[in-house]
Amino acid sequence: MSRKTRITFGLGALFTWLSFQPGGDPYAGSRKQMVDEQIRARGIDHAPTLEAMERVPRHRFVPADQQRFAYADRPLPIGYGQTISQPYIVAYMTQIIDPKPHYKVLEIGTGSGYQAAILAEIVDKVYTIEIVPELGRSASRLLNELYDNVSVKIADGYHGWEEAGPFDAIVVTAAAGTIPPPLIEQLKEGGKMIIPVGSPYLTQQLMLVEKRSRRYTTRSLMPVRFVPFRRSE
Amino acid sequence: MAVERIPEIVSNRLLISLGLHSAAIIAFQLSLMQLISVVQWHHFAYMIISIAMLGFGASGTLLALARKKILAHSNFLVPLLMMLSGMLMMVVFPLSRAGFLRFDVFLLFSGGGGWLALLMNYLVFFLPFFFGALAIGIIFIRQSSQIGALYFSNLLGSGAGGLLALWLMAVFLPFRVPLLIGLLSIVSGLLLSDRHGMRWNAPLGAVGLLLALILFSANGQLHLSEYKALEKTLHLPEAKITHTTPSVYGLVQVVHSPAQRFAPAVSFSYTKEIPGGNAVFVNGDFYGHILPPSANPNEHILNYTTQQLPYVISDPEIVLCINAGTGVAVSHALANGAEKIDAVIENRAVAGLLKNDLLHASGGLFQAPGVKVHMLQARNFLARQSTDHYDLIVLPLLEGFGGTSGLNALREEYSYTLEAFHLMLQRLNPGGMIAVSTWLDYPPRTSLKIPATLVEAAIRSGIEDPTQHFAAIRSWGTVTFILKKEPLIKDDLIAIRHYCNEMFFDPLLLPELEPKERQQFNMTGDTQYFERLDRIMARDPLALEDYGFAIAPSTDDQPYFSQFLRIGSFRHLAEIFGEEQMPFLELGYLTLIITLAQSTLLAIILIVLPLFALKKSRYKKSATLVYFGALGLGYMFAEIILIQRFVLYFGQPVFAMAAVISTMMLFSGVGSRLSQKMNVNASRIRNIALLVTGLLLLFAFVLTPLLQASIALGIVFKITISLLAIGIPAFVMGMLFPLGIRFLDKHNPEQIPWAWGVNGCLSVISTSLATLIAVESGFRTVIIIAALTYLLAGLAFSLSGKIFQKKSFS
Repeated sequence: MSRKTRITFGLGALFTWLSFQPGGDPYAGSRKQMVDEQIRARGIDHAPTLEAMERVPRHRFVPADQQRFAYADRPLPIGYGQTISQPYIVAYMTQIIDPKPHYKVLEIGTGSGYQAAILAEIVDKVYTIEIVPELGRSASRLLNELYDNVSVKIADGYHGWEEAGPFDAIVVTAAAGTIPPPLIEQLKEGGKMIIPVGSPYLTQQLMLVEKRSRRYTTRSLMPVRFVPFRRSE
Repeated sequence: MAVERIPEIVSNRLLISLGLHSAAIIAFQLSLMQLISVVQWHHFAYMIISIAMLGFGASGTLLALARKKILAHSNFLVPLLMMLSGMLMMVVFPLSRAGFLRFDVFLLFSGGGGWLALLMNYLVFFLPFFFGALAIGIIFIRQSSQIGALYFSNLLGSGAGGLLALWLMAVFLPFRVPLLIGLLSIVSGLLLSDRHGMRWNAPLGAVGLLLALILFSANGQLHLSEYKALEKTLHLPEAKITHTTPSVYGLVQVVHSPAQRFAPAVSFSYTKEIPGGNAVFVNGDFYGHILPPSANPNEHILNYTTQQLPYVISDPEIVLCINAGTGVAVSHALANGAEKIDAVIENRAVAGLLKNDLLHASGGLFQAPGVKVHMLQARNFLARQSTDHYDLIVLPLLEGFGGTSGLNALREEYSYTLEAFHLMLQRLNPGGMIAVSTWLDYPPRTSLKIPATLVEAAIRSGIEDPTQHFAAIRSWGTVTFILKKEPLIKDDLIAIRHYCNEMFFDPLLLPELEPKERQQFNMTGDTQYFERLDRIMARDPLALEDYGFAIAPSTDDQPYFSQFLRIGSFRHLAEIFGEEQMPFLELGYLTLIITLAQSTLLAIILIVLPLFALKKSRYKKSATLVYFGALGLGYMFAEIILIQRFVLYFGQPVFAMAAVISTMMLFSGVGSRLSQKMNVNASRIRNIALLVTGLLLLFAFVLTPLLQASIALGIVFKITISLLAIGIPAFVMGMLFPLGIRFLDKHNPEQIPWAWGVNGCLSVISTSLATLIAVESGFRTVIIIAALTYLLAGLAFSLSGKIFQKKSFS
């Protein structure tokens, strides 16, 4: 074993050991900083969301080569052309559906599993569907290890999870140009659905869909306010 | 009078070998660009190729530094270099996709790393061009007094190489094309090998052939970027590629998956199953869905989207579907009762698939009664079919869901220019209308540029109050605009409002629209979009000026519809969106700037380096730099502009491009050959340069009107006009490089390699520079600059010629 490999293994073992020690999580500081500077500072004040974001080890939901950026203020690649959303987007999406402890939430697009983990910290039951089998399997392993109130299904999210519905809220993390009719059906009266719209690399436009008495409305949230300015004379 | 040297004999074998090798280099460049476009994006193909092509410049540098040593072994080196270049052509692409060299463009810009791999890619792609150009450079220098004949062979070969690449791309899968091209260079090397050289080169040739055979029979896994649409689609359940067709338009592939559905921002009112199906990808990018046949026309999926707007207020019988792609708009028109539909499709390969292999899957769409498919560019179709008129002209849904990260910024879109919409308005029957739809984009760009262009086109067509002719509706994801030839009537407004209520859509533009109507179902916290739109409709000139993005109508002179970035607002946008996100706002444009910066930097290094090594007076070097640099820049500028103009003229971009390049090369080659018979003197070169200046200046003002006036003529007339318009300047331009080389050969032969290098470097820079100037200032500016560079070349030669001549007589 080369010296470099020994050092890498040694450091890895040290971090693993530290993360299992009470108060010894090496990322705890980064996480706190993330919550204070990226989330609270931008106006997120939903206490359960903030607490969840401070608890869930985001670094465990990103690939090993991205762990050093886990708490950075941006989305990160997780393979298969997918990303783990920017922490602020996750917090915002969570706050906007105003999750309550008794809620049953459906997530479409498990991806890394991070959004499901945040929800699992707050609500009674989370159902999450991932279409890419490899992502679904790895997220399922991690979520099952950390939580007992998350069910993961590897399937086409189009059909939703009919036998588990209706849901108090639906979080669509992997946005598409179509909101599948079955998902609308599985949303409770008065329920909320949140969907990101826009390039995964840019500030996304989040959209809230509300269903009241068979009337559907959408609300664009977090608009990208574009400050007009004049050309210099 | 200076005494002419006795010219060396140039053998036919040398000319054939040089021609074949030149053909291989150009064909390899084109095939590599296609391969990189498939695995990454076409902008990055330019980025990498620009570096690779600097191999020409670097070869000049090496020749300048070690001229004597290289020439002493030239008989051995030239065939060897050709063969090495050929073998590298075969292996560099597979090597670049090997694990340790593979990189992903999106990850580069999102902090995911890969810069080292990108650098290694540059180096790998540089080598075949460097060795190949070195062989050509040695031949030119060794027999510089015969440069006319040699340059003729080089140009003729290059022209043929372009055509060869197109043919190979149409017949073979992309990964196989470089293998066949590489063999050409190997054959060129073998042709030039003498008996002594054959001892080495014959086994090397055998290795090359074996390599080609092995790689040809491999499965050719391309390893696309995981962010390419095709790669993402293949992760869907049961996704499989059902058709793969090589074509000159790119690699056409069809993917089938039950989870691949088409229903762009469909209304919440739609409760039926959305069936999965087939989608077409070209070079790994999404091209279009193929809608499965629907049993009930009333349930056509587009009836539940904003794209239904024109059918809400009328029952058009004669419909023109522009850029009809996979025929989605055609099937929509059929479902709404259209009786005669003209579908204009540029991509013949896709149209061919839909007419044949996918005929059943598409419900026989392109052979349905009343449907006529026209395989050419829409603008060309509109100009030709001046007697046909339509009740409805439909353009396809613009942008992609979530945006395209500005990847289309540099694509010329002649169907969305002011002139295009003006032409469309002229082709409408009374009561007819134009319909354009787009995905809503954040921040708004396309959704503002479309109305801005339509309003301007309406005014140009004599519509006094466009607000009375406009309607637009908005869903949660898309917006559709219609511009009606006659003012909207009361019944139209009632029908639109009723439809919006049914579908949970909102009216966005209607005569006498109440502001609150705009947000009944789809609320937005930011009303700036509405305010900006109203200012555009009111023709407030500042509405287009005081916005951070370029939303003024695009024109035929600047047809970059999807280019929104203003260099001046870059810093301001970075403050708003954050610097990390800037690349994804306009990735295409950013890549162009990076390409230009990197090639300029390297060109300077490659030009400056020999300056220190050459021991002649500085003044003379500057003149050579200016003359050969100007030729490199001016020729490419002229070529790029001619390509742009003739793409619109012939309506077949790929063929027009091939025809322009080949015609230019052929006529320049003939000019080069004839120049061999001329006596070389400074005043002759200056006069020819001034003649080119005059021709290009004339072109700047005459070419566009000439082409516009003759676009509807028969093909024989058009070919004649093209041959004259391209051939005359190309013929004259082709004389200047060999005459300059012969002049140097007489007076200062040490500078010939340097001239070769400078010319190569500037040719590379000119490609991205011409595009940047065209985007910012238009095609006419580019051609005027081309004229001025030839003027500069003439002046430089006039000046340096006097000095040289003085020296010769002293």
